[in-house]
Amino acid sequence: MTKAKLNQFVDYLVKNNLVYAPRYNVEGYLHLAELKNSKDLYLGSELPLDSWKWYLLPPFQKMFDYQGQNFKESLPKIKNQIFLGVSILDLQALTLLNQVFEQDTYYQEIKKKTIVIGTSHVPKENFYKYFAKFEEDKLEHLQFDIFLAVQKNDYKIYTGSEDGQRLLDKFDYKNYQHIEYAGPIREEGLDPQMLAIKDGMQNYHNQKIWDDLGKRCMQCGKCTIACPVCFCFRIYDQSNLEKDSGYRSRCWDTCFYNEFTQVAGPAPAAPKHRLMNTTAQKIYFWYEHHFVRTPTSFSLPGCVGCGRCTRTCPADIDVFQTQRDILKARQRKK
Amino acid sequence: MINGYKIYNSKILKVTPEASDSKTFTLSLPYKGFSFEPGQYVMASIPGFGEAIFGVASEMDNKKSIQITVRKVGTLTSELHNKKKGDLIGIRGPYGRAFPIDLAKEKNVLIVVGGIGIPPLRPLILDALKNSKKYNKVYIFYGCRDESLLNYTKEYSRWKKVCDLNITLDNPTTKKYRKGVVTELFDIKNIPADALAFMCGPPIMSKFVVQKLLEKSLKPENIYMSLERHMDCAQGVCQHCAIGPYYVCKDGPVFSYAELMNFKSWLSPI
Repeated sequence: MTKAKLNQFVDYLVKNNLVYAPRYNVEGYLHLAELKNSKDLYLGSELPLDSWKWYLLPPFQKMFDYQGQNFKESLPKIKNQIFLGVSILDLQALTLLNQVFEQDTYYQEIKKKTIVIGTSHVPKENFYKYFAKFEEDKLEHLQFDIFLAVQKNDYKIYTGSEDGQRLLDKFDYKNYQHIEYAGPIREEGLDPQMLAIKDGMQNYHNQKIWDDLGKRCMQCGKCTIACPVCFCFRIYDQSNLEKDSGYRSRCWDTCFYNEFTQVAGPAPAAPKHRLMNTTAQKIYFWYEHHFVRTPTSFSLPGCVGCGRCTRTCPADIDVFQTQRDILKARQRKK
Repeated sequence: MINGYKIYNSKILKVTPEASDSKTFTLSLPYKGFSFEPGQYVMASIPGFGEAIFGVASEMDNKKSIQITVRKVGTLTSELHNKKKGDLIGIRGPYGRAFPIDLAKEKNVLIVVGGIGIPPLRPLILDALKNSKKYNKVYIFYGCRDESLLNYTKEYSRWKKVCDLNITLDNPTTKKYRKGVVTELFDIKNIPADALAFMCGPPIMSKFVVQKLLEKSLKPENIYMSLERHMDCAQGVCQHCAIGPYYVCKDGPVFSYAELMNFKSWLSPI
């Protein structure tokens, strides 16, 4: 697909659908926003500051309306939407989220109205060797509808679902290849780096790493908002002004908050009833989620290497440096 | 699509005051065919007050009702304590992995509980009462802060017929119960090394009881404990209950010590 044709395609999409894409805002930061015109689209190797979970797993999600004692399911009411220009790192994140939320009604309701159009742009600095270079055979392990593989002067088009094929057919573009999703695990087996970091955290614990991070981290929770695969949430009830009615909803939570593991009690008595109290404990929990629990549950890396947490951290904590430290500690003790 | 968060209404059939700060609620079955195993839990909710986990405390083969015992510690539990017979509460579940009671058949059983940790093990005690030949000897070690906080006191005379019930209190006011912590009971009672231990209590209790059990040569895979935590989703997604590589809601709440011994964060994170 030539660049001119792609612009036509984008304008065609924008005309008929709600399209979200990376675009620079007035301050010069790359964000995800609604796209109205193909001229505003950014297709390149820079990653937007926010991740696609904003749309698939919104910060606030109403789950039930209640009246008296009766709960009535309240599904998200959204229009068909298109994610345009999703980098392969973010496709990897979406592939993981799709697995984590495979049985979640609310997530699936949004996902089934979403078309994902990926691109092969990769950020220049990349911790994971696997994604350092784009190769065609990686695509069968990622979930997408349409994929734009960047060539010298144009784009090679792949489809990953029937929805993607239908969309291109409708636009009357036939020059695409279909790739059948072969599951997230690759033929060569599990990611060796993922296994090494998991082994390092589980079997070669080095308390110094966590004490140092505990001193630097200020528990702001920004990394949990920026991370494309941080998906903790809490469920809470909100009353309406009328008596006996309200709604139950879920919102993003962060493991850096004190209430996260609080089991009982009013605020003054709470420290006794929390499992995590120190900063070191909390940051260890964050790393444990990404580098131990996700690989254990889904055999997938819980970090896609986008570096958003590092970019956003006010204390300049570098997730890649911590991973190197974990690997170093493992190497030393082995 | 089936909504995993769907809430079923249960009617409160009876409210029984237990300890000074806890009550047992007998509830109608939330839906037809509800059944559970000891150690499993339900999410109970009141609209406007939220949701929390409670271990099911009633007899396993009761097909008409379930019971939960609730200590008043926060917003939701305070509101639960205001509920009366005939009121409705929301229930979803049961969730989680239960105590492997089949392994305990014809074996010695040791139940160690601390404070409000006793409800998830009551189904096992009631099962032992009903089928007195199913288990060999059943010991119950129950540690509590003071006498007023003991649960199910009215049933003790029945329990004692089949089980060896031992209670210790931190601050006894009468001479009826021993003063001390639950681990001191291991110096008095001789627990056979082939026993299966089932326990539920605060992390600090688990830590010292496990030490004692290992001293008594119990195998790590024969020590089972319920680690109930703060939970929001009960489906292994929301991360609140996570410990090490596990989710307490889905992989637990019952774990064998063999699964937990290799990492520290099950007691308190690093």
